[in-house]
Amino acid sequence: MALAAGELVRAKPAGPLAVAVAVEYVHAASLVLDDLPSMDDAARRRGHAALHVVYGVATAELAAVTLLSRAFEILARESSIPPALRARISGELAAAAGAAGCCGGQAADLAADPAGVGLDDLEAIHARKTGALFVAAVRGGALAGGARESTLQALTLYARNLGLAFQITDDLLDLQGDPVTLGKDTHRDTHRANFATIVGAESCRELVTELLGTAVAALVPFRRRGAVLADLARYVRDRRS
Amino acid sequence: MSAGPPRPTLPEARAKLRELGYLQGRVERFVFRRALEGAAGPFLPLVLAGALGAAFAETAAVCATQFRYAQSPWAATLLFGHLFLAGLLPCAAFTVLLFAVAGRSRRPGGAAAIAGLLAAVAVLALWLFGTWRLGPERAEAALLWGIPVAAAAALLGAITRATFLARAFASSGRLPETPRRAILIFAVAGALSAAVLLFAVRRQSTRPEAPLPSPRAAPVVVVGVDGMALDARRPDDAALARVLSEGATGVWPARRASPAEIWTDLATGVPASRHGVRALEWVRPLGLPPLRPPLAASWYLRGVGLATGLVSRAPVSAEERRSLAFWEVAASAGLPALAVGWWASGPWPGASVVENREVLARAPGGLDVDAVAIAEFERLSAGRTLSAVYLPGLDILRDEPRRRAAALVRVTVFLDHWIERARRGEAALVVLAAESHPSAGNMGRMIVFDGAPAPCTVPIRTEDVAPSILARAGVPAARDLPGRAVAALFRPGSLETTTVATWGERVAPHASAPRGSDREYLEKLKSLGYLN
Repeated sequence: MALAAGELVRAKPAGPLAVAVAVEYVHAASLVLDDLPSMDDAARRRGHAALHVVYGVATAELAAVTLLSRAFEILARESSIPPALRARISGELAAAAGAAGCCGGQAADLAADPAGVGLDDLEAIHARKTGALFVAAVRGGALAGGARESTLQALTLYARNLGLAFQITDDLLDLQGDPVTLGKDTHRDTHRANFATIVGAESCRELVTELLGTAVAALVPFRRRGAVLADLARYVRDRRS
Repeated sequence: MSAGPPRPTLPEARAKLRELGYLQGRVERFVFRRALEGAAGPFLPLVLAGALGAAFAETAAVCATQFRYAQSPWAATLLFGHLFLAGLLPCAAFTVLLFAVAGRSRRPGGAAAIAGLLAAVAVLALWLFGTWRLGPERAEAALLWGIPVAAAAALLGAITRATFLARAFASSGRLPETPRRAILIFAVAGALSAAVLLFAVRRQSTRPEAPLPSPRAAPVVVVGVDGMALDARRPDDAALARVLSEGATGVWPARRASPAEIWTDLATGVPASRHGVRALEWVRPLGLPPLRPPLAASWYLRGVGLATGLVSRAPVSAEERRSLAFWEVAASAGLPALAVGWWASGPWPGASVVENREVLARAPGGLDVDAVAIAEFERLSAGRTLSAVYLPGLDILRDEPRRRAAALVRVTVFLDHWIERARRGEAALVVLAAESHPSAGNMGRMIVFDGAPAPCTVPIRTEDVAPSILARAGVPAARDLPGRAVAALFRPGSLETTTVATWGERVAPHASAPRGSDREYLEKLKSLGYLN
């Protein structure tokens, strides 16, 4: 997404690539932490045994911290991005990973009483757990190319809607997907509040379509330069894993 | 155990997400959602939106021009339903075409803007030209309708443009150029400006002050004889032709048209494009009063609707006529007036009117029509300043020589009587001879017996007939009419020479009281050979 956003603003590849790698490291760290017994206690990830299952919890925790550190190191060393923009990208990515993003979202998710969670609470959890990193990726890629504020606004709209659609799809797949195709355990979220349980599977599918429609519509001003990001929206609609 | 928050419905969930900053976006959101659902996703919404827009524009045109619809929200609503049905098929065809073009478009942004513009302009044109063609009785009402119609046009334009983009996106996956939204706003603003200009220059239809007449001593008698073949030189007509040749004659080139149109031209002094009566029948959508069909819905109101029974035929009536007939002008001016058997005639304050349908209903056959009309005329004409009777017998019996000869005798006797009275100065007689089925070179005639003027023949126009009759009755001529009184045909100095700006439009004070069913009248017209 960071690369596609960089391409959209006609950035040189080095800057968005650094952002993409950094975001991916943060994302990988979040997954490692997410699978820990103290969190989701997931045994499989991407079709393989989860990291903590193979190497133990302590190693997994250290690996996650290392990934996070490495992400910001990569950003800090990327000289193709002007220092001011580098600082801004780092700040946004840090926010997306921290209390206002993944960590905060996960904490809220763990603390939530499934029976008392409403749509607002669920959105607040998902926006931070998933959406924040989507937003950081496209904004970071675009910022690396010196994007204008109006472009950033459109991309933020795209990423927020795409992020929520992605998460709702995730909930649906957890409920109805095939664990082999999915590469991870299913029905893990049934005891937790999620969109599928709150608004129903049918309504979820409708909301996903509408969210993706909004995301694609936000790209219309960019014409063909938005095509890759639009394809990503299609991928979210069609994904089975 | 706590019950927890209630499970939201889809609309509630959607509203909540919108409140939280998702699902924001313009009209593209709607169509891209459809496009993501599938290629055919936007088809039905556009067909429905198009049919609604077209129906709204045409309903606006009808309501602004046909008072029975303007006065009844129920009738307007039901008409809207009919027109919506009528719009579905054309809109489906338009959408199929749009899809075909969008699927192949290399520049979807520009093409979508053009498609949206066309859709918006089509709706505006349906309203604007529909109103213009049907003739607004109140221009300000037509303009008021323009505001919601413009909004509907803009909405349809936006939906069309977005649907085009969605279809192009669904088939190619390419995102379009920046949408050009301003073009729709300019189009709508332009159409509204054009409407203001058009309706501002159009004649206002408010009823003006009645023209003040200078009544003449002798009454004016107008006899319309349909099917009198003065040019065909039928032997039977020779005697009557000889008698009529002693009058002062104005001639005009005859043309083929429905008798209702020709005789309404003569009665009103304006062409059909202005008075509105063109045919012997109009249409009645199920559950509604008759109406002049809006242009785009004619295929339904005159075709599919008739075939399916959703629309029925209705005979011509005075309510179809937008211009005042000469007896109505005279009555409005305070002169006692009478009209018997004239096409598209109906009740009018101050006038005694025996409608065409009444005369036909009382006549068992074609031979009796003139007898009934003449009897009614003689019963009611005493004391009238202006009396008119229409005799269709010769036209009805044109293919039955023996019976036509008998009818001709009756007409001749009647005319002889009035010509004699005219020669004595007891009345001014105007005989109108016009053929509904003329041959090439045939002429229509206005033959005047007014005292004892020298026989003469002068070329006139059909538009001159009504002003001449009224001027002879002492009613000032209207300057907004194309015709002028033909002084050469009348007793010198007998015509009123003053003028007024207008006689106004025919805004009927109330609907005709039903006199027998439309079906009976139509059957009668059919039996007399007027309709197939």
